[in-house]
Amino acid sequence: MKASIVTTVIGCFGVSEDNNIIAYIKFQKDPQIIAEKIQASETEKIPEEREIEDKLKKKGFTEIKKTSNEFIRTNLRALAIEKKFVKSQAELNKLISKVNIELTKIKIKKAVGRDALIMQVSGAIEELDKSINILVERLREWYGLHFPEMDRIIEKHEKFAEIIEKFGSREAIEHPELSQFREKSMGIDLNKADVKIVQNFAKDVLELYKLREELSKYSEDLLKKVAPNLEELAGPMLAAKLISLAGGLEKLARMPSSTIQLLGAEKALFRHLHGRGKSPKHGVIIVHQYIQKSPLEHRGKIARLISSKLSIAAKIDFYSKTNRAKEMKKELEKKIREIKSK
Amino acid sequence: MKINPHKKFEGIFLVNGKLATVSLRPGTTVYGERLVKSGKKEYRIWDFYRSKPATAIKKGLKEFPLKKGMSVLYLGIASGTTASHFSDIVGKDGLIYGVEIAERVLRELIIHAERRGNIVPILADARKPESYENIVFGKVDLIYEDVASKDQIPILIRNAEKFLKSRGYALIAIKSQSIDVTKKPREIYKKCLTELEKHFDILDKVELDPFEKMHLFVVMKRRN
Repeated sequence: MKASIVTTVIGCFGVSEDNNIIAYIKFQKDPQIIAEKIQASETEKIPEEREIEDKLKKKGFTEIKKTSNEFIRTNLRALAIEKKFVKSQAELNKLISKVNIELTKIKIKKAVGRDALIMQVSGAIEELDKSINILVERLREWYGLHFPEMDRIIEKHEKFAEIIEKFGSREAIEHPELSQFREKSMGIDLNKADVKIVQNFAKDVLELYKLREELSKYSEDLLKKVAPNLEELAGPMLAAKLISLAGGLEKLARMPSSTIQLLGAEKALFRHLHGRGKSPKHGVIIVHQYIQKSPLEHRGKIARLISSKLSIAAKIDFYSKTNRAKEMKKELEKKIREIKSK
Repeated sequence: MKINPHKKFEGIFLVNGKLATVSLRPGTTVYGERLVKSGKKEYRIWDFYRSKPATAIKKGLKEFPLKKGMSVLYLGIASGTTASHFSDIVGKDGLIYGVEIAERVLRELIIHAERRGNIVPILADARKPESYENIVFGKVDLIYEDVASKDQIPILIRNAEKFLKSRGYALIAIKSQSIDVTKKPREIYKKCLTELEKHFDILDKVELDPFEKMHLFVVMKRRN
């Protein structure tokens, strides 16, 4: 004889094939406990279910399966009252809501993986870059009032901020290329307080550079653990960017390589689909060194090749977690040489 | 302040001409909407720029079957902007099962679900109704779907087959841009409607432009 075990918010049922309830065990009426039981029941047999199984066996049932059951499902409201689990439908509604809030909380916790950290960090780096650029532009304009000649000579932003932070006013600067301009500068003079404040500003900009460095190192470490193949093939920056654009490693792993090829080129793609403009050949993967090093006429083909390998890498990282980056890289390089030699 | 019940729809009010519902949890806002106190009741203004059913009502929808005490299956509940007004309308004796695939927005919903007591958050994919069949008790009176997905229509039909009462209501906001960006919205609507007509009687439909671009709001009744 066949029977099934059905676990619900109000407890576990043992149901025969012709929809007779053979056994029933109530849950304790506590949303937290019920949620934990239902959660556990998804992967294993909880004690209540085992007890039901024993009872069914004693009644002579041989084929016992854990399933959902349409009869129980549609009649559960009536059953909840009949079995005296609740007194009213309103009480039941409240309980269902509470149990599922707890259940959803558990699920939300499980749904977020380490790749979510990569996405946040990748976003933070991007925003940090934007902020640093804006602030350095401000610093250049500001300090330019005092020492305009320096703007052209020191091109690197970080260096520019470092000099201000270290020396303060232009008279104090010791730098082989700058010293000669000190005396005849057309900039205005600053007093001590003026210098102090711009110096502090430069110091904070430098802190942001340091933070950026720290973040990119952290992101690289994370990637090496979460997506080693992708990191090796794409480089840390691009790997993080791809995970972000896809919305997680799982989503990236499920994407066809043609979608990965065009991640970040959605605007151009849809323009093309609407019949305006050429089809894009690459999205963010254009920053990949192999594409950067290739002549224009080969870029489309190489982009296709790279995205196919990145797609495989993401799949390995998410599903099998072995490290096959080296051989994949060799294969990729070989194929790129073939394209270029044609 | 002039407060009148809506001429046609139960549970919906007009506060100085603006759509509103009576708050189930006075004193709290869900998405920054305006609160208006009047006597013992508090009204929450229903922003038709942010909630598609409100837009549809604003644009002259003739049928809006949501009523007090109903149980509702809401596919794509997100952070609960619209759902909070649904929750006001169905009240304490009603229940809203909210299915959502993205855990980020569900985090916000949970806060309101805890306060309101008639919202059941479900982290699941609406494409797989089997995955929440043990949570949805019995059959529901109404299904509302607002998911931005290519297979919007099949999702609604499959959920209705499983969870909707016979002669129950189905509401959908069809987003033509999600189904095919290259085709004209009207073409897509037509196709969707023929598909829906196989299972439902269409009671009313209204386009949501310009408030929600390229959306069609449809109210239906299950045929069998």
